[in-house]
Amino acid sequence: MIFDPILDLFRGKAITIPPLDGALGPNTALDEAAVLATLPVPDNLVWHEGRLLCSSGADVLSIAGGTAEKLAELSAEVTALAVSSDGRLAVATDDGHLSEGGVPVPLPGSIACITALAYGADGVLWLANGSARHPASGWVADLMEKGASGSVWRRPPGGAFAREADGLAWPCGLLPDASGVTVSESWRHRLIRVEGGRVSTVLSHLPGYPARLSSAPGGAWLAIFAPRNRLIEFVLQDSHYRRDMMAEVPREFWIAPALSSGQSFLEPMQCGGIRMMGIHKAWSPSRSYGLVVRLDGAFAPVASLHSRANGRRHGVTSAIEVGGRLYVAAKGGGAVLTLAGGG
Amino acid sequence: MTFRERLQAWRYNLVPDHAIGEILQKRWTDNAIPFLALMIVIVGFGSAIPGFFNLASLQDSTRQLGEFSLVVIGLTVVMLGGGIDLSVGSVFALSAFSSVASFFIFGLPPGVAFLAALATGAVFGAINGYLIGYLRLRAFLTTLVTFIIGRAIYDILVVSFGVQVQLSDATSDAWDFIGDGTLGGLSVSVIAALVLAVITHVALTRSRPGWHVQAIGGSRRSAHNAGIRVRRMVFLTYVFSGLCSALAGFLIATRLSGAGPGTGQGLEILALTAAVVGGNSLGGGRGSVVKGLMGAIIVLVMTNGLIRLGYGTGTNQMVLGLLLAVAVTIDIRWLKNRHKVLNEVYVAPVYLRMGETQSATPGSGTPYALSNRLSQAEAIGLGEVEGPEDVILDRDDHLYCGTRHGEIVRYFAPDYTRSEVFAHIGGFPLGLAFDRAGNLLSCVGAMGLYQIAPDRTVTRLSAETRRSWTSIVDDARLRDPNDLDIAPDGKVYFTDSTKRYDAHDWTLDSIENRATGRLLVFDPANGTTRTLLDGYRYTNGVTMAHDNRSLFFCESWACRIHRYWLEGPKAGTAECVIRDMPGYPDNINRASDGSYWMAWLGMRTPSFDLSMRHPAMRKRMARRLPQDDWLFPNINTGGVVKFTEAGEIVQTFGDLSGESHPMVTSMREHKGHLYIGGILNNRIGRLRIVGADPDWTAMDAYWGKRG
Repeated sequence: MIFDPILDLFRGKAITIPPLDGALGPNTALDEAAVLATLPVPDNLVWHEGRLLCSSGADVLSIAGGTAEKLAELSAEVTALAVSSDGRLAVATDDGHLSEGGVPVPLPGSIACITALAYGADGVLWLANGSARHPASGWVADLMEKGASGSVWRRPPGGAFAREADGLAWPCGLLPDASGVTVSESWRHRLIRVEGGRVSTVLSHLPGYPARLSSAPGGAWLAIFAPRNRLIEFVLQDSHYRRDMMAEVPREFWIAPALSSGQSFLEPMQCGGIRMMGIHKAWSPSRSYGLVVRLDGAFAPVASLHSRANGRRHGVTSAIEVGGRLYVAAKGGGAVLTLAGGG
Repeated sequence: MTFRERLQAWRYNLVPDHAIGEILQKRWTDNAIPFLALMIVIVGFGSAIPGFFNLASLQDSTRQLGEFSLVVIGLTVVMLGGGIDLSVGSVFALSAFSSVASFFIFGLPPGVAFLAALATGAVFGAINGYLIGYLRLRAFLTTLVTFIIGRAIYDILVVSFGVQVQLSDATSDAWDFIGDGTLGGLSVSVIAALVLAVITHVALTRSRPGWHVQAIGGSRRSAHNAGIRVRRMVFLTYVFSGLCSALAGFLIATRLSGAGPGTGQGLEILALTAAVVGGNSLGGGRGSVVKGLMGAIIVLVMTNGLIRLGYGTGTNQMVLGLLLAVAVTIDIRWLKNRHKVLNEVYVAPVYLRMGETQSATPGSGTPYALSNRLSQAEAIGLGEVEGPEDVILDRDDHLYCGTRHGEIVRYFAPDYTRSEVFAHIGGFPLGLAFDRAGNLLSCVGAMGLYQIAPDRTVTRLSAETRRSWTSIVDDARLRDPNDLDIAPDGKVYFTDSTKRYDAHDWTLDSIENRATGRLLVFDPANGTTRTLLDGYRYTNGVTMAHDNRSLFFCESWACRIHRYWLEGPKAGTAECVIRDMPGYPDNINRASDGSYWMAWLGMRTPSFDLSMRHPAMRKRMARRLPQDDWLFPNINTGGVVKFTEAGEIVQTFGDLSGESHPMVTSMREHKGHLYIGGILNNRIGRLRIVGADPDWTAMDAYWGKRG
């Protein structure tokens, strides 16, 4: 109605989120997928010298034949992994350190929140710094503070890190190509392209918060680590409540996205999530969700894998396809899954 | 507390926001806009034109108003029946002419002239009615045709016989009195309009034909299906409208003692504007005589006022047209959006700072720490029973529960695998209790207090209490009767949880958190219901203390247990026994060891507690989010808590997985077992209680051993 913009001043704006529709139509593929390994918090998957590596907490593990073998334990939680074309493993930790093949890499002072690493085919190392204010583990706080202080850095072979883009709202996924890099900008629910210092939008209005990107034959895989939720978006608009919540409520019980939910009765609950006659509705609003999206060469979604509100494989932060198989790390669901790739 | 928070507390606890939603529910709010327009028009023209309302000018305009109101009343009835009558102006003019002709040309007495007018109106009304009612032609086009034809006939007649009328010397005192005289200061036309208005109003609101007309206007198809003779009623509305116009025509004939070419010109537009501006819906079914009269006054005051202010006919028509456009727009927009507005503004949260609570987290070491015991309960009626809010057992160990289908289901002892529908009540049976005679009493959500005798006859005991003085919506009606218990003298103490929401919307009351819960008592001796306490935040469970000198009841959204004294020095007062629990209490019942069981329907969450201190946030949330997305208390985890008379917590059971008993709304101890119900659950739980008296039953405890 024509009066809505005026009325909105008094009653607040209507809150809408993109529907899970079309290529994002729901299914239960993630819940049905085979479990490769059960880990506390499996995060970043990489393929290294013929093995699947996964970070979980402060550990880097190798997963083969249904068992996980610890390769290294680091000083803090591992926040990103990457493998260069010549086989070096880059590891970033929550305390802001980066090592490459076990050797510490000096970083510019403004990098302390490494959320993603990726090597280009040309040997360039791309680095996503999620926020200038919080460590990688403080992502909830950065979101609820409406942070937009993230940056993307580029290190040419033999060179030093240089900032390529700034003012990003939690970049946490990188997919380099010959001329630039595609970045998932979580708090703005979109993929952007950074090329020669210029930023352009590739895919917007995602129904969740995008995490890591990985290449796939003819396209890419995008992990979405948490769903958008109307109540959360409402709280993001309501500054007084949000500030009081951040000051007084323990962080795990905030009205905020989560990698997993329903663990404690102190977590916030929404009307649609009420268990009715023993049923937790799959389509009910939820703070956590499991979603992996297959993108085509132009970064348009073509297919998706889900673990819905009543599912368990939530909080997917990483998905990679190797040799026709897709490996998925459900950080909230505590499992590394495997499915047939393709798409 | 910050200054802002204090302001919020004042703003939301002192300003009665809920009144807006309650007033909007009233049907008379439809009259508010026309009434406002009426006031503006009267005050506006009254002050703009000196002497606008002096007696002489008023006398003349009221005559005009009387005639005009008659026409509008007729049109209102047609519109209420879902039609429209554009021919009122022609019928008015023709009737005027027939009475003038009868009186002046044929020299007939005024009485016959009156009948001639009515006959003219009846004939035209019958033609309209036959075409529209029986032949099902479009009302708009049909009456447009009769309007044109009627007008044409009138023009021919006036030209042919106008001179004869003027040359006539017929006189009659009666004729002059009707035209010029007054009765007790009121002119005949005003009296006629008032009498007709009262009769029509009574007929529309209090008689079968009136209801039929409104039903047809509301939905022709449903009216037909309900057995109303739609065609005949529609026919009759047009005849009625014709007669009204005819009466008005007769009155103007006596007033002017003649009929000129301008008589009744443009009357149909005036009348239509009046009816619609008054608030009668063009779509039919909604409207009243009072609205028609308001519209008539608005339109006449406006047209007369504009003429006296020196504006010409063109301006007048323009203003009328604009008025009609505005009225139609409001009518349609309001009708379409009223329920949306109501939905948006109904939830009116208040400020509440919940007290600090002890943790209920397992292993926290507090008396409230939840165990996982309830998940071990064996299931009765799994997947068969839907929504057993309360459960109860009789002397033969049979198990009874209410269901969301409005039934009382009985599970047979000893294994509770067989069941039958014991009685069907309707509504949502909630709390249950047996009286001395073995009657099962139930608080039925959305209905009232009911009794099911052992022979299964269902009797309503109470559905209302006394209305409170400040209520807008009638709060005498029991909206959400929730739990009950029976004293040794047979009095039934029960709760009505909220005045604001119906039983099935009970969870919404937690968002609003307005204190409207009541404790009531029903006295079977004289069948009366009295309100004992009012103004609690969702009164819920009730149980008589073991010594019957007091009773315990809980206040769910405030997480408190109160004790209400029936005798002793504190008789008639309530005191808080347990406050600031980490869970929301529901039903309370006696335990075999002299303590009490209380069910927790849900758990407090820090984010929801915080939102209680942010009423503005909750209000915006209720307006801007679909209900499924609203922040709720966590009612997916409940528990069973045992407490002593002194308010000390003894034991706390929970189901942390939420698989078997997520929400617990009741529990009943019986022969060493605990029977567990949940209003949103699909089973009844049965759990052995360690250390409980294996022979104790509530029936014995309340009413003594079987005689």
